[in-house]
Amino acid sequence: MMDALLLRSLEGYVRDTFGQPVWLAICRRASLKIETFEPMLRYDPGMADRVAVHAAQELGRPVGTIWEDMGTYLVTDPGHEGVRRLLRFGGQGFVDFLHSLEDAPGRARLALPGLDLPEVTLTETAPDQFDIDCQSRVQGVQRVLVGMLTAMADDYGALCLVEPVGAARIRVRVLDSAYASGRAFALAKPERRE
Amino acid sequence: MTQGPAGREFPLGADALCRFMPMHLLLDPEEKVISIGPTLRRVLGEAAVEGASFDQLFEVRSPGGVTRVSELITRSANRFRLSPRQAHNVSLRGLGQRLGADGTLLLNLTFGIDLIAAVREFSLTDTDFAATDLAMELLYLAEANAAVTQELRGLNLRLEGARLAAEEEALTDPLTGLRNRRAADLVLERLCKARAPFGLMHLDLDYFKAVNDTLGHAAGDFVLENVGRILREQIRAEDCAARIGGDEFVIILPGRTDAQILRSIAARIIAKVSEPAIFEGSPCRVSGSIGVVRSPDLDRPDAAQVMAASDRALYAAKHAGRGQAVLLAGGAD
Repeated sequence: MMDALLLRSLEGYVRDTFGQPVWLAICRRASLKIETFEPMLRYDPGMADRVAVHAAQELGRPVGTIWEDMGTYLVTDPGHEGVRRLLRFGGQGFVDFLHSLEDAPGRARLALPGLDLPEVTLTETAPDQFDIDCQSRVQGVQRVLVGMLTAMADDYGALCLVEPVGAARIRVRVLDSAYASGRAFALAKPERRE
Repeated sequence: MTQGPAGREFPLGADALCRFMPMHLLLDPEEKVISIGPTLRRVLGEAAVEGASFDQLFEVRSPGGVTRVSELITRSANRFRLSPRQAHNVSLRGLGQRLGADGTLLLNLTFGIDLIAAVREFSLTDTDFAATDLAMELLYLAEANAAVTQELRGLNLRLEGARLAAEEEALTDPLTGLRNRRAADLVLERLCKARAPFGLMHLDLDYFKAVNDTLGHAAGDFVLENVGRILREQIRAEDCAARIGGDEFVIILPGRTDAQILRSIAARIIAKVSEPAIFEGSPCRVSGSIGVVRSPDLDRPDAAQVMAASDRALYAAKHAGRGQAVLLAGGAD
């Protein structure tokens, strides 16, 4: 299901950012039989990475950059407010939130049995310095997480350096955890305006 | 001071109490407020003042009939239910303890499943809950669950839409927009099975081959589309008009068995079909022969029998000189 989630997110990111024709061009380039992905269905393992490579070619940017931008998009896009909210439930501050990452797979399974998020291990290597190791079949996951962490730092108003180390590690240095005021977070879900 | 397991007492200041139990209520022996946890204070609003009496602040829901905390603790120290008098819709669950010998009473309360509504009503934030409280997890789960449900509902709608589109496509003749043979068969089978009365017309175009041969396939398609339009105009919503072969059409009319009406409909269709249609400046002249059958004329018909009968009627119409409608006489089978 990880592939499905990433494919659906990639589709949303490309369509919202670059427009439907670009997304269709990527689908053609990847010889896809479909033009839209369902997050709840299953797709061939490895399909997310494969489509991302075609997206990189179509957009003329490195595949890692695309995954990172998509991660940021998931947190910041108003249409995906639910993602940001679920992440914010993880902690009161950014460091608290980082510690909650290890709980993420358990939380996700509780919400939807069968949804296996990558296992994450957080190590505090020095004060305000963290190494996050995440193992996933899907190569893009590391860079998606980099994008999401960068956006969540902003959301909490923390000043951070987030950088990929190798293929499965992310280093986070929190320079100032109260750099800016951050975005407001009300525990009660905002009423939907239809 | 609280009593430890080994009889030792541990000092616990008001600040610590607020931090550990943001929904506590500390009462003196007169059952008047000494201290209220900050979160409970938000729920109680202006009524939450030192010296207020328990009875002014709360109504005991369970155990029933209790008004005093001393009795509450004696009867159900480990689980009781309260409602704030200021916020009657909020149900709080709690436990209580008499502290030491001086008769101080400590209650600790929680929202239970009303948490989600309470968070909204009192604009609570994560700092309103102790780190040990599972409130965040409950709120997280409620939202995650709603998101998953919404996503599933969306998926269902999309799949249903795709299914309907595929079904519609499978039953439609793409050229004329009429139903196709499969659709006509299904309607016919359904009517036969239900022994519902109906009339059926089997229309075959006359001179269609000539149009195709002299003016080309595009002209032929133009003629077929035109016939499709005519049939759609001539039938009711509950009727079914289908193209079942190259220039062959079937019109099924549920409930229509009156010979006079069927004849007049058939005559109208033939007249319309026979009007020359102009394709790229050239008139396409076709006509139509129609064989008409009525279900009451057939003895417990099945779909194949009806089609065979309509074939015979159509043959008779063609034989009678084209541009004609022939209704198969009663007892034809």
